[in-house]
Amino acid sequence: MACPAPAQQWLALHLPWLPLEALAATLPPQQRSEPLALFEAHRVALVNAAAAARGVAPGHNRATALALVPALWCGQADVARELQALQSVAHVALRFTPMVALVVQARPTVLLEVQASLRYFGGLTALLQRLLAELQPLGWLMREATAPTAEGALLLACSGRHGGIGAHSSSLAELRRLLDTLPAALLAPAQAQALHAMGLRSVAELRAQPRDGLTRRFGELLLARLDQARGHRPDVRQPYVPAPVFESNLELYTRADHAEQLMHGAALLLERLVAWARAQQARVARFVLLLRHEQRHRGQAVPEATELPIALAQPSDDAAHLQGLLRERLQRLQLAAPTLALSLHCHELVRTPAPNGELFPSRATQHEGLARLIERLQARLGPQQVCRLDLAEDHRPERATRLVPIEPARWPPVQTLQPPALPEDPDEPFPCGRPLWLLHPPQPLREQDLHPWLGGQELLLLAGPERIETGWWDEAPALRDYYVAATPEGALLWIYRDRRTAPAPTSGSRWWLQGRYG
Amino acid sequence: MTMNPAHSSALAAAAAAHPALWQAHQLGCSAVPTTPSGHALLDAQLPGGGWPHRTLTELLLPHVGVGELRLLLPALVALEGSVFLVGPPALPCGWAWAALGLPPQRLVVVQGEGVDQLWALEQALRSGQAAAVLAWLPPRLGAFGLRRLQLAAQAHDGPAFLLRGLGAAAQASPAVLRLALQPAGPEGLRLQVLKRRGPALAEPVHLALPGVLCSPEPASAYEAFEA
Repeated sequence: MACPAPAQQWLALHLPWLPLEALAATLPPQQRSEPLALFEAHRVALVNAAAAARGVAPGHNRATALALVPALWCGQADVARELQALQSVAHVALRFTPMVALVVQARPTVLLEVQASLRYFGGLTALLQRLLAELQPLGWLMREATAPTAEGALLLACSGRHGGIGAHSSSLAELRRLLDTLPAALLAPAQAQALHAMGLRSVAELRAQPRDGLTRRFGELLLARLDQARGHRPDVRQPYVPAPVFESNLELYTRADHAEQLMHGAALLLERLVAWARAQQARVARFVLLLRHEQRHRGQAVPEATELPIALAQPSDDAAHLQGLLRERLQRLQLAAPTLALSLHCHELVRTPAPNGELFPSRATQHEGLARLIERLQARLGPQQVCRLDLAEDHRPERATRLVPIEPARWPPVQTLQPPALPEDPDEPFPCGRPLWLLHPPQPLREQDLHPWLGGQELLLLAGPERIETGWWDEAPALRDYYVAATPEGALLWIYRDRRTAPAPTSGSRWWLQGRYG
Repeated sequence: MTMNPAHSSALAAAAAAHPALWQAHQLGCSAVPTTPSGHALLDAQLPGGGWPHRTLTELLLPHVGVGELRLLLPALVALEGSVFLVGPPALPCGWAWAALGLPPQRLVVVQGEGVDQLWALEQALRSGQAAAVLAWLPPRLGAFGLRRLQLAAQAHDGPAFLLRGLGAAAQASPAVLRLALQPAGPEGLRLQVLKRRGPALAEPVHLALPGVLCSPEPASAYEAFEA
């Protein structure tokens, strides 16, 4: 008999190594491949491959483990740390379906109801590929499984003993057949020994027993789970809703003395931030990285934390771009004291629709790329070092052109501000013939027989004078006669003779070089 | 000396086989796009007929203001997008640039010192967002730094000019085009091609630059001054 298409399709992402991986994330990257063990109640609970190769196994006590590997990194499980890691997976999953549920405690798993999304993503295989590719940067090992019921998918994902691939079942009949082969202990890990003692190894053997006897002995939960998994009983899951304000912490295993050592931890937090923003179809406008310091470093009182606010000119959901900005800031930062923990906060999101993806770069994407380039330059050099030219209507050349820091979001200016057409009439304020380079401040020239000299050579006056007499009302009055001069080799200069009564105090010369015709 | 016809046809076939091949007596016609310099005399001597994209072009000057900007501006005006000035030696006068056709909203001025300046230049080239890049480099720049910039320039679809002192002429450089500039009167420029993809050019090129003088009679300046 052909089963009808199931009304629901659940995808389970089980993270079997989550406690260990969340611990490894607090280590500097070069130490992650060294032996590492996670302890629970003074016993080894999980070990990484390097520790397992040296003989450390779950169940060892601390002394045994340290005797086997003296340089073993030891850590405790941390529920809050694991929950944050699991939430980051849920944030990525929310881009694929609105119905995402978390399973915590002993079986850290994210459940997705994907039936309604299959058509959009082009089938289960394509959806799974994209989902796993987007989860890749977070760096967790996962086992995935699909089933028509949530509990069924969860059990299948948890059972995948070999490799990362769990079972996939598309119909209830197939799911029930698969469930029968699973070990019964999966349904109640806490009661595994009792089940084993009764000789109930597989789910099929468990199902063959009378129900009231099982309920008496193991409680109602065991059969309830089984019924939910087999689709006999409704399975209501609470949908996960992302928090309105993002906050994620990372306690570093070893203290960081230099800002560069913080980058790997900050990168992980940024991946989580981007996943959170994308889950809400929004982009990050501003975020704050808090560096929590070791107290009383070398007997000095140090601030509790350093705040590193990063404001973006254009909201972004590109982790690489955010990392680039943060890296430039961190590279220039001198730590006040060694850092023990990182914390990333964000509550400024922009919920406008994301820009369209484009096959060919258009004006808009180029505009965005340019703004990002300027933003990156300003993050390292400082805003004052990346400037545009601001034109003002003043006769004094040093005031007519000024450098003003660029605001990246408003570059290039869409409203093209055309400078007034330069008048042909030389009596107008800005005749042609201004030099392309302005020396600021003007450079004094040697004066000999009233003539200007530069570098031991007399300058030849070619054109002029152009008299500028202005600014008597402010602090920088100018009384100058401008000339175009040439050096004997033929380079053109723009010089002026200061007509104020007192000559310049240093050189005694009234001639100044203010521009070069580049 | 006459060339064996079979030999010459084989050479022609080889040159036709790949656009990056050229014979030593010809100008290279590489597949790299170029921007015409706006000076017909110069374009005739440049491989591809203009300033090359995706590579560095070096201009060696005796000092700032020999006419280098009036040489480059026609090409910059013809391009679309922002022109980056990295480490300019003086303040660009916005009114004068605008008068020659480059409005200030197309100019980005990046200042910085030493390593920061090189970093900014590399970022600007690598991003591919600039229409053109003009950079005034610190005098002591090793071959490694130049090589790195040349690699970054491959992502930059537009001309990239390095303006350096004449002293750099003796140094080796990965730039595919190197020109030495000398002033030649108020409205002229003498260009010597130090390196190009093609035969060496013994004679310098004389270019006429846009005039800057409003009053055509130079003597009047002295008369006015003496008075």
